Amino acid sequence: MEITKKDVELAAKLAKMRVSEEEVSIYQAQLEALFKWVAELAAVNTDSVKLTNVNHCAHIRPDEPFSDLSRAAKLRGAFDEEQAGCAKVKKVL
Amino acid sequence: MMTALEIVKAVSAGEKTAEQITRDSLAKIAELNPSINAFVEVFEQDALSRAKEIDAKRARGEKLGPLAGVPVAIKDNILYKGHKATCCSKMLENYVASYTSTVVERLLAADAVIIGRTNMDEFAMGSTNQTSVYGPVKNPIDLTCVPGGSSGGSAAAVSAGMVPVALGTDTGGSVRQPAGFCGVVGIKPGYGRISRYGVIAFASSADQVGILSATVADSAQVLEVISGKDVHDSTSLEAPVPAYNAQFTNGLEGMKVGLPKGFLDGLGEDIKEKITQAADRLKELGAELVEVEVPFAKYAAPCYYIITSAEASSNLGRYDGIRYGYADNEAKDLNAYYEGSRAPFGLEVKKRLIIGTYALTSERYEECFLKAMKVRELIREDFKKAFEKVDVLLTPTSPTTAFKLGQHDEDPLALYLADLYTCQGNIGGLAGISVPFGKDAKGLPIGVQFYGPILKEEKILNAAYNLEKSI
Repeated sequence: MEITKKDVELAAKLAKMRVSEEEVSIYQAQLEALFKWVAELAAVNTDSVKLTNVNHCAHIRPDEPFSDLSRAAKLRGAFDEEQAGCAKVKKVL
Repeated sequence: MMTALEIVKAVSAGEKTAEQITRDSLAKIAELNPSINAFVEVFEQDALSRAKEIDAKRARGEKLGPLAGVPVAIKDNILYKGHKATCCSKMLENYVASYTSTVVERLLAADAVIIGRTNMDEFAMGSTNQTSVYGPVKNPIDLTCVPGGSSGGSAAAVSAGMVPVALGTDTGGSVRQPAGFCGVVGIKPGYGRISRYGVIAFASSADQVGILSATVADSAQVLEVISGKDVHDSTSLEAPVPAYNAQFTNGLEGMKVGLPKGFLDGLGEDIKEKITQAADRLKELGAELVEVEVPFAKYAAPCYYIITSAEASSNLGRYDGIRYGYADNEAKDLNAYYEGSRAPFGLEVKKRLIIGTYALTSERYEECFLKAMKVRELIREDFKKAFEKVDVLLTPTSPTTAFKLGQHDEDPLALYLADLYTCQGNIGGLAGISVPFGKDAKGLPIGVQFYGPILKEEKILNAAYNLEKSI
């Protein structure tokens, strides 16, 4: 499993952490060694394994009906900028 | 230092006062801590007031609790209202607990004296106690060596005789590995035996409070006091807590001890020899030795690093400068605020958060996190099958004895291997105990470990008690 400096930078950004160039280089080498070790898990056949402690529901977004349009307009109005009918927020990534 | 049980007996009989015992412990800490660095704060006034209350209670003729007058140290990630709890991190350097953890509540109710908080690896991430913001702890047996970690301060405090008992936490071996390195007893009960309420979370599916003590009987006494269901922790188990010390037998007739196949491969001669000797000794004590297979256990360490880092990346999300932790009030926008507020994390913590976050990205989720979770199920199944055949398993605690401070700084994978035998217990949710059994050629302690099924702590305690007694 190859780990690039970009992977490290992306993960750090998602974790809301600032890392220096020097830290990125250190982490990249260390993560590469660790994930090589983790790659050994691929050899284990887990096809029939059923997990008992993962809440898959957490990944499902409920299909909620969107009815109150006036409330949506009011919410959008609270933002400075609007684009294609959506409130524009500051870029995160 | 007297053992906890000796102290309880002496204080309850009026042969010693709790104040005398506390002053002895404080004096020992004052003498030795500057060279060992096991304590990051000593609650001197608080401890003395508490000891005087216990003495007054006795003077009034009231019955004293099962830990009467016993000085207990707590790891710096366990909350005690009104006292700092920093996880030995700059992130929490000014955090003062607003409530008391269940384990400390139960110790206080048993008339123990909380003497101070002990050094640890930052946020319990490490096996050397070198990642603490307060500096490394030194191994009392050899000051040039690490004490192990992450509960290195607690292990060193007991090993040096500063306290008879200390609490630690164990997510991948953080009680048992330092116990082995420092020549003391360390027990991590099965998952759910002890409440985690008021214990700062690292990886919630693996974290457990554990006990470090000079003797097995002391660990048994403290375990009995702090175990049991707690309404504040839904993962704590509703099951009766036995009087562990009353379960000890003289010999091990009828006990089946499993020796996992292949567990000694690649070990150093000193440790291999001690494990073999321990197995022989158990046989002499009446136990039956049985070879068992746990083929997936060898994958526990990579599973451990993925699962616990992923859980940490979620648990430590709360240190954002708003809910908890340092706040970067100079930041100009929200991103800068978050990044600035999370800057105080040390290198190892940042690395684990990066590992965990990376393993949870949509590109790596199935291949890393989900795979590790599935292999974890196979490991659990392995141990479940093994315990259908035997009562306990015998393994080394660690693949090596204590190594030099800084020895593996450039090779973190070598450090991660220090948890090789202990993290299986956390991944499997098992009960595990490390008990000292001799020394290597350099005079450093060797720990042997017993594993038992969940809620069967009495079995591993009894095996360890008999082995300890036979030395």
